[in-house]
Amino acid sequence: MRRTGLLGVLIAGLVTMLATISARAEAPPSFAANGTLTACTNPTLPPMTFVNGAEASALAGFDIDLVREIAGVWNLRPDIVQMDFEGMFPSLSAGRCGMVISGVMRQATRERNFDAIPYYESAMVVIARTGTPKISSFSELSGQTVAIETGTSYGRLIEIENAALAARGKPPIRVQLYPSEDQVIQQVLLGRAHAAMSQDVEVLYRRRQLGGKVTTIFKPDIPDFHDFAIYIRKDSVDKARLEQAVDELRRRGTLTALAHKWNIDDTLEEAAPTRGAPSRFDVQTFLSALVSRAFFKGASMTLIMALLSHVTAIAISIPIALALNGRRSLIQPVLSAYVAVFRGAPTLLQLLFIWNALPQFLPIFRESWFTPFLAAWISLSINESAYQVEINRAALRAVDRGQSLAAEALGMKKSHVYWHIVFPQALRIALPPTINDFISLLKTTSLASVISLQELLAVTQIQVARTFQFTEYYSAALVWYLGIVFFFLYVQKRIERRFTWADRDKAAAHDA
Amino acid sequence: MTLNRLPDPGKRLSIRDLSKLYNEFVALDHINLDIEQGEKIVVLGPSGSGKSTFIRCLNRIEPHNSGVLMIDGKIIDQKTDLTELRGRVGMVFQNYNLFPHLTVLENCAVAPRLVRSIPRGQAEDTARRILAQVGIAEQASKYPIQLSGGQQQRVAIARALCMDPEIILFDEPTAALDPEAISGVVLIINDLAAQGITTVCVTHEMGFARRIADRIVFMDKGRVQEITPPEEFFTAPRSARARAFLNEMIRF
Repeated sequence: MRRTGLLGVLIAGLVTMLATISARAEAPPSFAANGTLTACTNPTLPPMTFVNGAEASALAGFDIDLVREIAGVWNLRPDIVQMDFEGMFPSLSAGRCGMVISGVMRQATRERNFDAIPYYESAMVVIARTGTPKISSFSELSGQTVAIETGTSYGRLIEIENAALAARGKPPIRVQLYPSEDQVIQQVLLGRAHAAMSQDVEVLYRRRQLGGKVTTIFKPDIPDFHDFAIYIRKDSVDKARLEQAVDELRRRGTLTALAHKWNIDDTLEEAAPTRGAPSRFDVQTFLSALVSRAFFKGASMTLIMALLSHVTAIAISIPIALALNGRRSLIQPVLSAYVAVFRGAPTLLQLLFIWNALPQFLPIFRESWFTPFLAAWISLSINESAYQVEINRAALRAVDRGQSLAAEALGMKKSHVYWHIVFPQALRIALPPTINDFISLLKTTSLASVISLQELLAVTQIQVARTFQFTEYYSAALVWYLGIVFFFLYVQKRIERRFTWADRDKAAAHDA
Repeated sequence: MTLNRLPDPGKRLSIRDLSKLYNEFVALDHINLDIEQGEKIVVLGPSGSGKSTFIRCLNRIEPHNSGVLMIDGKIIDQKTDLTELRGRVGMVFQNYNLFPHLTVLENCAVAPRLVRSIPRGQAEDTARRILAQVGIAEQASKYPIQLSGGQQQRVAIARALCMDPEIILFDEPTAALDPEAISGVVLIINDLAAQGITTVCVTHEMGFARRIADRIVFMDKGRVQEITPPEEFFTAPRSARARAFLNEMIRF
């Protein structure tokens, strides 16, 4: 009796202890899987989220720190995934991100599909080159060009304003859309756009970077642009838990500390130090970018992706080309449709489809093994194979029918006829257009930055967003691209030398 | 000439009622013919008479639809091993169909290597010997594009000979040759006959046919019209069609 009683007390004590512990640690949300908190961000909006330094993986900013703090609250491991702005919300829907945190405003329209948890107050601003007179309403921008980032909601604001302008018979505000915030500001600097729309925190950061070349000309008070928010898939329990975590950080003073760290608590923007305007072309920056690890890695990614995709494409295309050239069969219309669809659809659309739409139908593609690399490899291989089928078909047809007839008359097997007689001759015909396609593919890989593949152009854009020295970084990227292309043109020349048999004069020279 | 209804297993080639159809079109209509070892047969006839189709049936590049084709007593049909058949029945094409990406030596050695698994060195030794036999040993390392028409013809013959065939089929061997080169081909074919190799040759060249043929097979509209020795064929053809054909040839 006594012993059981003691055991009962012990168990009761243990249960109470466990309950206290679990109550103290905040309950993690349902989107945290395997102890990991996955947050998607588009690191082109300093100081909220950007790449700080030459390494593409060195993410920094208010948002990045906040993710780490929130993960800390829940005892989770933070995993930050970078991607294009437009890719983030589809990725959130697809379950590839647990949350989106990327300097995105809390907005009613977005809240229809997602839950938003505000974490920092902000204000929308219209900026222009220093010296541009201030304005007091959007209507004063009538007839002017305004640059804005694609996928942001500034565009809708201007649409509403334009409708009002049209009603009064005034010319509309012209909008230019750019894929990243830094490119938006570039347009203002170049004078192509009169003004640009952004957030006050961004402008604070840019003012320091650009040495006072831009200034705020208008600060409208619009409720949809008051708060930066974290977005999650709709789930009231998760929303409450995340709000709790953010409140906890606010209480601890973490948010204020972060704001101070990233200089966004200081609204005295006019007091920002001015720096001398950057020179037209900084050779030092160009050279160090050219030999940087980031560019080397970006170029390697571009090269590997292009080579891998093209080899796969060729492997897919040869049997298809043979089947299409061969006897009529039921499979031919299927193969023709394959070629037509993948040659017809834009490569960018195919990439987005495989990365964002596929996981909607097949949940297996949401898992972590399905990386941007794999998705880009699949998309580009399929896309390129459609083109390669046509090259191979033409090349195989160009080999005289008498060649395989003569080989068969000598008793050769079909496989021998192809490998030793037909393919070597078809290769000579297919090589120039194939190399042509390869060079084209090499450049097409840059599209894969939309699904967050860190290839050469993605690396370049991240560097430009960080430093604003676009001429230098664009030039470095150009040198890398040209270097790779020239290397393959040289390879083509070397291979073509082996085809002297097709040219009487060269064959004679080879002989002598 | 009257033939037994049954094929004769003692002949090198024995053909009975061989027919070939292309859908509705009758390309070969009940061909009957026996050919001896080492014999030189020339097939003559107007365009579209079926003579090319006929020789292509002999190595089954064109499978026949009915009738019997027998080589050395063995019936050739869909069950025949094509590799073995084509090793015994070689073919030289009208435009030679040499492999342009291979040297003359490789053109000759490629089939023995791949089909018979003969080691490269041995296959090339044989090829050199045969190239010497047809008189172009010095061209061995050249590509086909560097050779004259007559030289290419000899490579095509050497390539067929490297498979050590019993029968060689020639499709218009003289079509692209000058008279001097034609004489060369006559010498080579006589040499083949001396080695016991049977030749069946489709041609338009009357002089050539007269010089090499042991027997002339005259075809028209898919049928054999007559089989006669060349002196008789060119002086006193038996069939009316052959007479008309020869008159036509003389006029041009």
